[in-house]
Amino acid sequence: MATSMAASKRPFLTLPFLLPSWSDSITLGSRRYQSSYRRTKQRLRVKPDASFGSSNQGHDQIIYNPPSSAPSVYHTPSKFLPSNDVRRSMRTEDTATVNATSEINELPNVYRSDPERKYHLTPADVEEIRKLRLSDPMTWSRHKLAKRFECSPLFIALVCEASPEKKQIQRQVLEAVQSQWGPKRRMAREDRKLRREAWGRDE
Amino acid sequence: MPVKGIKTVTAARNGVGAFILQCKRLDFHYCNYGGSSRGMLAFLTQTLPNFARENPQIEIRVSPRHSKHPIIKGHYINGREKSICVRNLEPSDILSKAMILKDASGEKLKQQKKPVASLNESVRGIWSPYHGDLRGV
Amino acid sequence: MKRVQLQRWSSTVLSPRARTVSRLHQHLYGAGSRCQSTASPLQVDSNAQSNLGDASFEDVELMKHVRSAHKRKGNLKYPSPPVDAAINSAKLAALHARLYLPSRLPPQTLARALVDASADPNADFNNESLATLGHDLLTYYTTEHLLCTYPRLPLTVIFAAMYAYAGPKTLAAMAREWGVEHASLPGGEVDPGLLQFRRVEPGTDIDATPNARTPRPYAAQKAWRMTVTSKIFYDDEFGDAFKGPATSGEGVTAELASATFVRAVMGAIYLHAGRPAAKRFFEQHFLSRHLNISELFNFSQPARDLARLCARENFEPPVARIISETGRKSRHPVFVVGIFSGQDKLGEGAGASLIEARERAALSALKGWYLYSPLNVRVPSSMEEEGAASWKPVYVDLGEVIV
Repeated sequence: MATSMAASKRPFLTLPFLLPSWSDSITLGSRRYQSSYRRTKQRLRVKPDASFGSSNQGHDQIIYNPPSSAPSVYHTPSKFLPSNDVRRSMRTEDTATVNATSEINELPNVYRSDPERKYHLTPADVEEIRKLRLSDPMTWSRHKLAKRFECSPLFIALVCEASPEKKQIQRQVLEAVQSQWGPKRRMAREDRKLRREAWGRDE
Repeated sequence: MPVKGIKTVTAARNGVGAFILQCKRLDFHYCNYGGSSRGMLAFLTQTLPNFARENPQIEIRVSPRHSKHPIIKGHYINGREKSICVRNLEPSDILSKAMILKDASGEKLKQQKKPVASLNESVRGIWSPYHGDLRGV
Repeated sequence: MKRVQLQRWSSTVLSPRARTVSRLHQHLYGAGSRCQSTASPLQVDSNAQSNLGDASFEDVELMKHVRSAHKRKGNLKYPSPPVDAAINSAKLAALHARLYLPSRLPPQTLARALVDASADPNADFNNESLATLGHDLLTYYTTEHLLCTYPRLPLTVIFAAMYAYAGPKTLAAMAREWGVEHASLPGGEVDPGLLQFRRVEPGTDIDATPNARTPRPYAAQKAWRMTVTSKIFYDDEFGDAFKGPATSGEGVTAELASATFVRAVMGAIYLHAGRPAAKRFFEQHFLSRHLNISELFNFSQPARDLARLCARENFEPPVARIISETGRKSRHPVFVVGIFSGQDKLGEGAGASLIEARERAALSALKGWYLYSPLNVRVPSSMEEEGAASWKPVYVDLGEVIV
């Protein structure tokens, strides 16, 4: 995958300094040392991309050469433009060429599979979940209930709450575990928390 | 609360809207007896009124400094000050020295390596290896 | 709007001065008769002045110096510099020219703008009234600029942006950048070009003062939840609780005094030179400052918010897809994740884990929504210009995402 990403528009042979060193070593005796500033600059002076060339179409055109940078947040996506905004109609042809339908569907999902939503639980089931959780909170944890009723643990949390005793026990367990942590692990955990908060500020 | 605001302060861009001259005060010191102040005395009587009229945003103070060389001292908005000794100089040269102090920003002189210093983002953004000329995954 | 009233307004700023000067004199001299035997500086002063008038010195130059020295000493009895001192102050004239203030704004008003209420409690001589007017103008112009330029901004971000443009910290920085110096202690003999205020005693806890002025009910209940909407009703324009008024004799911080001065300048320009000049001053000094609004957001759960937004706007639910990645099995992987709704890409972000990249992508998508700005933005106050085109309604958004 990495190799396919690295493939660039520019042919390799126009940039000889990118070639591996064995190609230099052959002609080392016969050539002057290459790395003067002027020579390097000269070799970097390559032909412009074909899209910049003069067109034969005879009418004015816009060269679309998107920058190699993350898109700016000030550039509102076309979907977010209100219906009466002029930019919406101006961008229609642009999106048709860039976002080919098939390409987007081919991109892999972040999650392996979309969670299938079944909506199969009835009010009676919900009542039973609550009863089970109240009756024996140590056996019927969120995950066990989720497995039994084939729903997500999040749904169990939405439906019912653990009893205060169970919460207290869980807190004590957590404290016991955390008291075993050394300074390195504690610091690493705190750093992770801070990093996570920094995502929200886009830092 | 889904989103919170982060409190910051806007940054000044002197000259984008209004331009504030950074030199706020010029002190002219002279000596009534010393020979090195002769040009300064002529400057104070002939050129300075005109200079002050042209630069109303600078507070000008003239004060004698007995048996010392004449100097011009500029006080700047950033709290720094700069002084130039103008002994034995002609009034025209003193005017050019005063202009140097007037035009200075008050900062220490340093080499400007970049042609442009701006707070604005580059139009093409910051180059990133993950964008632009990519092929599919 | 009538422009005729302008002259009358501006005259009201100055005329009570003259009247109250005499009133003040009467008050002081009337009291002086009681303490005749004591060594009051006021009494000594008036005696000295009368003696001066009688005595006849031959050296005219010397007499001029002596007179001016006595006059300066006579100013000691005032809490702030007298009106006529403003004309002779080089500092004040330089400040006037440095800010390109309109010539219709007299230096006397600028001198008044430099006197804080903590220095001179008399409302006819301090800048409190000017600052109130200036503060209202500043917040109005800032609000209309923000609301018309970025109609979708969440309220908390609007508060933050308001604070960044017209908050006390910014105004204090501006006063510093204008080259305004502070007087060590206020008084009648001080140069009127210096900012005059009584400082807070060192060691005072500024935040400890009880918040008496806030109209919020149950303000003492610190643990209670405060909604963002309630901040519109009960709090100031920056979303902070109203501070209690500075009681006389109490000092203010340098930051607060500088901010009051900048507001008072704005009010003074409005009174003397009119609305267009005030608007121009605002655009040149306040709006021209740099602020990147996209850096004011702090999201806690962007992915959830985006899902709610898409549901509200009837878009397809957002799906996170990997656009590119490198080093998945290495120590430093990088994932570039895009958020798609149907066939449209809403945003993308890069991160060291799939979760991070997805959160960042959702965040950039949300910012893309909130930072929408219409083309050719006009603000309501532009209708006050001569020959303005007819008003077209600005874009008004539904509001932020509520989860």
